Amino acid sequence: MLRFILKRLGLALLVALTVSFISFSLLFLSGDPAIAIAGESANAEDVAAIRALYGFDRPMMVQYGDWLWHALQFDFGVSYYFRLPVADLIAERLSVTMTLGVCGIVFALLIAVPLGVIAAIRPNSLIDRIALFLSVAGQAMPSFWFGLILIVIFAIQLRILPASGADTWQHFIMPTIVLGYYAMPAIMRLTRAGMLEVLSADYIRTARAKGASEGRVLFKHALRNAIIPVVSLAAVQMGFMLGGSIVVESVFALHGAGYLAWESIGRNDLPTVQALILVFALFYIVFTFLADVLNAWLDPRMRSA
Amino acid sequence: MKRRVLTGSVAALALFSAGMAHADKSNDTLRVAFTKELESVDSYFNSAREGVVLQRAIWDGLIYADPQTGEYSGNLATDWTWIDDTTLELKLREGVTFHDGSPFTADDVVYTVDFVANEANGAVTQRNVNWMDHAKKVDEHTVRIITKEPFPAALEYLSGPVSIYPSDYYAEAGPTGMGLKPIGTGPYKVVSVEPGKRFVLERNENYFDGPKGQAQIGNVDIRTIPDVNTQIAELFSGQLDLIWQVPSDQAERLEQMGQFTVANESTMRVGYLAMDAAGRSDPNNPFTKLEVRQAVNHAINREELVGELLKGKSIPVHTACFPSQFGCAQDVKEYEYDPEKARELLAQAGYPDGFATEFYAYRDRELAEAITSYLNAVGIRTDFKMLQYSALRDLNMKGETPLSFQTWGSFSVNDASAMVSQYFKHGELDDARDDAVLAELDIADSSTDPEVRKEHYRTALQRIADQAYWAPMFSYNTNYVSTAEVSYTPTADEVLRFHTMTWN
Amino acid sequence: MTAFPDALEITGPTPGQQLRRRMFGHQGFMIGAVFLVLLVIIALLAPVLAPHDPYAQSLSNRMVRPVFMGGTWEHPLGTDHLGRDYLSRLIYGARVSLMIGAVAALISGTIGTALGVAAGYFGGRVDAVVTFLINVRLAMPVVLVALAVVAILGGSLSVVIGVLGLLLWDRFAVVMRASTLQIRGREFVAAARAVGCSTPRILLSEIMPNIVNNLIVVVTLEMAHAILLEAALSFLGVGVQPPTPSWGLMVSEGKNMMLFEPWLVLIPGAVLFVLVLAINLMGDGLRDVTAPENRN
Repeated sequence: MLRFILKRLGLALLVALTVSFISFSLLFLSGDPAIAIAGESANAEDVAAIRALYGFDRPMMVQYGDWLWHALQFDFGVSYYFRLPVADLIAERLSVTMTLGVCGIVFALLIAVPLGVIAAIRPNSLIDRIALFLSVAGQAMPSFWFGLILIVIFAIQLRILPASGADTWQHFIMPTIVLGYYAMPAIMRLTRAGMLEVLSADYIRTARAKGASEGRVLFKHALRNAIIPVVSLAAVQMGFMLGGSIVVESVFALHGAGYLAWESIGRNDLPTVQALILVFALFYIVFTFLADVLNAWLDPRMRSA
Repeated sequence: MKRRVLTGSVAALALFSAGMAHADKSNDTLRVAFTKELESVDSYFNSAREGVVLQRAIWDGLIYADPQTGEYSGNLATDWTWIDDTTLELKLREGVTFHDGSPFTADDVVYTVDFVANEANGAVTQRNVNWMDHAKKVDEHTVRIITKEPFPAALEYLSGPVSIYPSDYYAEAGPTGMGLKPIGTGPYKVVSVEPGKRFVLERNENYFDGPKGQAQIGNVDIRTIPDVNTQIAELFSGQLDLIWQVPSDQAERLEQMGQFTVANESTMRVGYLAMDAAGRSDPNNPFTKLEVRQAVNHAINREELVGELLKGKSIPVHTACFPSQFGCAQDVKEYEYDPEKARELLAQAGYPDGFATEFYAYRDRELAEAITSYLNAVGIRTDFKMLQYSALRDLNMKGETPLSFQTWGSFSVNDASAMVSQYFKHGELDDARDDAVLAELDIADSSTDPEVRKEHYRTALQRIADQAYWAPMFSYNTNYVSTAEVSYTPTADEVLRFHTMTWN
Repeated sequence: MTAFPDALEITGPTPGQQLRRRMFGHQGFMIGAVFLVLLVIIALLAPVLAPHDPYAQSLSNRMVRPVFMGGTWEHPLGTDHLGRDYLSRLIYGARVSLMIGAVAALISGTIGTALGVAAGYFGGRVDAVVTFLINVRLAMPVVLVALAVVAILGGSLSVVIGVLGLLLWDRFAVVMRASTLQIRGREFVAAARAVGCSTPRILLSEIMPNIVNNLIVVVTLEMAHAILLEAALSFLGVGVQPPTPSWGLMVSEGKNMMLFEPWLVLIPGAVLFVLVLAINLMGDGLRDVTAPENRN
């Protein structure tokens, strides 16, 4: 087990390093950040001075090494725009994104798991079909559009929810629904498939034959086994969701990390964008790592993988 | 559908106004929305309109300029005289204190001026401060500001962007600390700052009796809401009292609803098309030909853009400056909307079937799209490229944009030099590079005789129009929308002044 | 494939016939297919079907309402913020969405299939490298990276297609790798190797035909994915550039007046939803039909 964890950890670190390098080189190509910092009134001399001040005239590998060295100490530099340490900025904004992500995944699980279980108990029933349609429709609905429609209905027409901001728990209801809706289809399908498989397994038949109640069979025996892959999928989905919250945050004006990323791209605020790409990648890496470890712990056969 | 939305809104407003109103007239808090995330509240370290709004609320300048008449009066200084060409002596107001209780003295002026004038400290908008060399304390309430060169516009800047910070606090906190916990002398004190997100102000009960007057509204709660729809939704639901920079379409609809006050003011910002007449992007590009540039000018329907899209107090513009600016002569060649003539001119230039070109823009996608549509209609096929400001600026400086939609706000300086001289004196942004224009502008910019200046700006502007280096199009306007409870008269400089607002 | 066609007729329908029968019997697949074919026809016949030039602007006719909301038949679905006919723009927009979906899926499919098949067939180091690449790709936040890249290069149809094509190959690689792993050990592959067939020949004529069903399923899903991502990018203002009629861009442009003219947002959003739904239904149907035991 320890060997497995170490191996996975090494891989995760290597992935993180590669992602950081790729994003660094991408942003390196994005033109001259000195102009963005200098502002509307600057002339060529101002720009040149800033270029030298920030060290933009050094070779890329040197700048990358420099950045990486500081990043390892949780120092992501200073935002060109806010002139505040990027680490503080992100830490502050992450709380909103994390809240949203957790609410979203909980919402998705609360809807998807029961639906998946019912669909599996009654395959091809009306509920199964509705669940299937919901999952296909969920994948087809553009999130920005879904969010806008919710705003029109619940904030403008009915006036029961606030349209923007993150002050109270009510502010998180609509963003949670929009974000969670996208994780739902995959979770539901996996729950359904897992349940179908488990329900046809021998030990369930044995349990039934022994006269265990249907509820006991379903929840004690079937769901417990079917839920294992769902948990690891949920972890992976959570990683995806945090990266995908950009659109949702911009629609609902939530000042989270996703929104910060979008704005920072527009402002050429490279240290912030660079750090955010890494942070989002790390989330995904950490969640998949946890999912792997969890799987391996629950199912020793996987440790060889 | 619309009527249903509206009646629904009104009914719901009545139902929920009691429950949802966290703050409003009843507890003396004005709730305002900013669109842009402000980078820093320290006014020397941001270049945003929102920053100017906060600056006017939190700090004071040495001098005050009346926003309607432009007349100067004393603010933190009570008296001033030019001792020589480069030395301005100011008598300071006595008995003024900063928000932290420390007294305002000559030391504060000296420290602020010396700090921001030092380029190494990195004030963002250098032209606001780099005319000052340093300041010198004469006594506790007398100070001298020494300029690098004779600078007639000094009073304009001392009443505008240059405001005075408390020396001890600024020395200790620096721009970052000042941005997070600003201290000034102004009519409002800062209660809290969440960088880029929220700013809460309260009235400064100890504000001195200056030209700005005492603030009437007790508290101001500013939230950043980037999306104008969300801002309007919050206005509907009673969560905001005032929004500004509202696009014309929405402002028009809000006005029709009857429950909001919509005020419109013109701004000095001019929208124009810049063309690469000098051939910097490609010596053979079509815009090096006079007929092509004239064709572009004839292709644009300025009246329609102003009447249908910009609306309000916008006007069609034909000069490379805003008409109200000093020296901005209006007797120049005007190109009326005439797509037929535009096509003929293109044919004369050797493009009977038109040509394809890159078209760059950085803001106002809707206007940019409408403009390309005019160009496409006469045969100029545009490859639309919407870039971030800094990216476009980069290309502009390198001279790689054959055709671009630009705007310029002249920093609200009411003098033609703030626009035409910025762009036609062979700088890195000059795509005309016309020596005759340069010669005229050199005389106009340096002369002290107003008549001489006027005459030479006129000649320069006439030549720019004749040569059609630009296609000036229109000026911008700003809409201010508030609930009926708020009373505010906006000014043409696009600055919200909380201290002049009152409850109805 | 067989020298005894008569014998087959006796034993029952060919696998192809079975597949076809299952396809026509699958409700979801048929609904999706009908809508998709319809949209493809509309896209192809856009110049014939569109009542107006989608680019013709008329600033005095801005935001005219659709006919069912009090408008006239002159503009059945009204006009946009520049007075352009909404129906015509929707029709031409179908071309943009379908092309983005198809070309992006083609690019990502090529990359992903090549990587996946190589990993699955050769195993060992190749597999390790490909698996690593897949991990790296999955760790990159797609929307954020696409935003950054498009913001750098400037949005245009080709840039958006290219970026999406280069970003969305992960699912192809994962599925193709797994499928190839399953096939690799089968007798006919071993037989082909024993006869001395070259590796490219084995890959093309033994492996590919057996995994193409899975490939098609992924193609449909990734097409839908690409179309939605383009819409999201255009919505955020860095996707396809105006005046190109993209549905995502239309939602984005209509958004400004959402509170007053909600149909500006509802119509293009609904059309986008129908297209993606149709493609997804088809993809799901295909998966059921080709591998009924794997429905999940």
